[in-house]
Amino acid sequence: MSRPPMTPQKRRQPDSQTQPPALPESERIVYELIKSRKNMGIWIADIKREAGIQNIIVTKALKSLQSKNLIKDVVNVHNKSRKTFMAVEFEPSKEVSGGSWYSDGSLDTEFINILRMMCLKHIEDLRIATIEDIHKCIAASRIMKVECTMQQVLEIVRALALDKEIEELKSTGVAEFSMVQSGKICYRRSRGRQGPSVGHLSSIPCGMCPRISECTPEGVISPNTCVYYKQWLKLEF
Amino acid sequence: MVSQDALNLAVSLMTSHFGDLVAKVCGCLLQGGTLSLQEIVRCTELSNSQVKNGLLVLIQHNCVQAFSVPKQAGAGGATKSLTQYMALFDNILHRMRFTKFLAIVRDDLGPQCETLLEGLLQHGRLTFDQLVVRATSKQSEDSSSIRDVLRKNLERLVHGQYVERCPRPEPFIAPTSEEGTASARRRSAKSKEETYSLEQQAMIAAALSHAERFSVITDSGRESSDVKDADKQDVSVGDKRKFEVLELDEEVQAAITETEVLWRANFQKFVHCLEKKACVANVRSRLGLDAGVVLEALVESSDQEKDNFVKASMDGILEAVRGKPGGISMTLEHIRIVLDQLGCSSSIEDNNVFYKMEVQCIIESCQNDEVESLVLSRYGKEAYRIFRLLIKKGSLVETEQISDITFVEKKVAQGILYKLWNDDYLYMQKVISIGAGQLQHFLWKVEKHSLWELVLNHMYHAALNLNQKIAHIVEQEQEVLQAREKREQLRKSRMILELSLLKVDDALMLFHDFKR
Repeated sequence: MSRPPMTPQKRRQPDSQTQPPALPESERIVYELIKSRKNMGIWIADIKREAGIQNIIVTKALKSLQSKNLIKDVVNVHNKSRKTFMAVEFEPSKEVSGGSWYSDGSLDTEFINILRMMCLKHIEDLRIATIEDIHKCIAASRIMKVECTMQQVLEIVRALALDKEIEELKSTGVAEFSMVQSGKICYRRSRGRQGPSVGHLSSIPCGMCPRISECTPEGVISPNTCVYYKQWLKLEF
Repeated sequence: MVSQDALNLAVSLMTSHFGDLVAKVCGCLLQGGTLSLQEIVRCTELSNSQVKNGLLVLIQHNCVQAFSVPKQAGAGGATKSLTQYMALFDNILHRMRFTKFLAIVRDDLGPQCETLLEGLLQHGRLTFDQLVVRATSKQSEDSSSIRDVLRKNLERLVHGQYVERCPRPEPFIAPTSEEGTASARRRSAKSKEETYSLEQQAMIAAALSHAERFSVITDSGRESSDVKDADKQDVSVGDKRKFEVLELDEEVQAAITETEVLWRANFQKFVHCLEKKACVANVRSRLGLDAGVVLEALVESSDQEKDNFVKASMDGILEAVRGKPGGISMTLEHIRIVLDQLGCSSSIEDNNVFYKMEVQCIIESCQNDEVESLVLSRYGKEAYRIFRLLIKKGSLVETEQISDITFVEKKVAQGILYKLWNDDYLYMQKVISIGAGQLQHFLWKVEKHSLWELVLNHMYHAALNLNQKIAHIVEQEQEVLQAREKREQLRKSRMILELSLLKVDDALMLFHDFKR
């Protein structure tokens, strides 16, 4: 798995020594408008509205600026269909890119799943693990080609706890928690059943039925006529 | 007042157990609240005698409680009393779980006590003499030996609080005034005077004292003396004098006790037993076998029956743990750690260490599990994660924050949240922020109270459906008597349905009977 290097919120400051090449007036207007939006970028429709020049000239200017490598188009995670432009020296902000878990405007599920598996494995190996322990193990394993921050590990681990794959606990400092300072938050694999349980109501068709509000004893939809019951009980008659 | 789904289930149970007439009277009371005989006649459009018979059956089976209130005869007329009737919804639902109650007694006290309890559940309430007649008709043994065995078994059931004396049949509720109902006020454990509804006053007035409820019949028919003393302390001065005047010789007392005292199943006890069982099962599945063993030991060694917590000494817990499978290998230290993980608080009393645990937190965990499972099966894994986050937060959370924490794309999260809100699983609040243009933000929250009601009604509906389907299958089994394969298929289906009904009933108890 490879991902572009992740340095969220980091941006190169424009070098005050280097001046942009001399640009035609229309390109200069468009370029300065885009640059003014820094890491938020600007939608093409907004450029056309605010530049005060004809749309066709704006389009030509954008093409030219892109070929000169002065601007780039980025995907806005909240509006993927909107063409958004940004000066090349800026990295898209979290609002635009979606944050460190997004790649090209979509959730990087491959990266997330790999990190989930690694966190689970290390928690299982360590039996009781803090965030620092898990982060250290992931870094030491060198499986990830990109750096993974402690914050990212924390977010993944919290999602695992929501899925009931692991438990979040406070260390008591004794017995199995002896390696962890008392009172510190730590994690372990769920002792009993892992993952969600099957509830009593959800184990019967009525629990999942989308028509339950229309179901009545003598109605068209009733237990006696219910197709879900027939399927569940494998009754052919 | 009960919900429509609850009403439908209760009426369906009454219909299948006692027929349409009784069900109609019961349904009228559940819908209309506390009513007099004439009001019930008007509501049901049945005759006076039909309604009376229906009420008698319902009272016999502990599904209705009668009480009297004063009724002004007219201007200057003498105050008469008017009998009113109220349906006992909880007791009606308990009829679905008699097999569970019998299993509890069978495991604790053996099959003979189970048979005795079965008689009480079948007939609602019986005197000791009636129990003897019932047993004698089934067995060919000498009736005096049957009587002795029955007496011993009844005593065991009463000592275990599985059986109790029936409450007062028709207590008189004086009007609420400065004097109020003295007994209602005295029994109130709260420092401030509470306003009880008429129905609550009736239940309080009908209830016997703890000592009276579980007053046993000894070999000589005499009530045990320490119980009598406790009973004396429990009554007011006026009642005490009456008690002394009415104290009769032992033989007459025995005769009265055996022929007149009505016994019935103590549903409260069974609910407690099932509640503890559910807690142990939940802890076992969540935290592992060891945690289940320790909690079971704590529950068994606890002597707290009525309160919301269990409390036992370390010695008691240790002894109980050692007697369980796998318990012998558990060290004291390990047990202490498990008790700590269960969230128990410890204290020292009389040089002994005691552990105490709130049962309510386990019940809440069971309830959360049930609803989360519903969300998972209806809406999928991502919805499950989102729902778990919102339950954990307990407060309003914005869509984007939900999307970030749960690793669900914002548009997908929005769709899920909308679906959950549309089906009344979530509460939604719209906030408009005015900055560079107007921006709409949606905040989401789980409103436990209303959602739990929704889920409970869903369970009532499901239980009703299962009951109906079982009845339908039974009819079909009669129709296909000759076709062996079809009959076998139907029989298997009926078993699945009956087991499912027991499970749904477990969930019903979790949301209705175990809640505080």
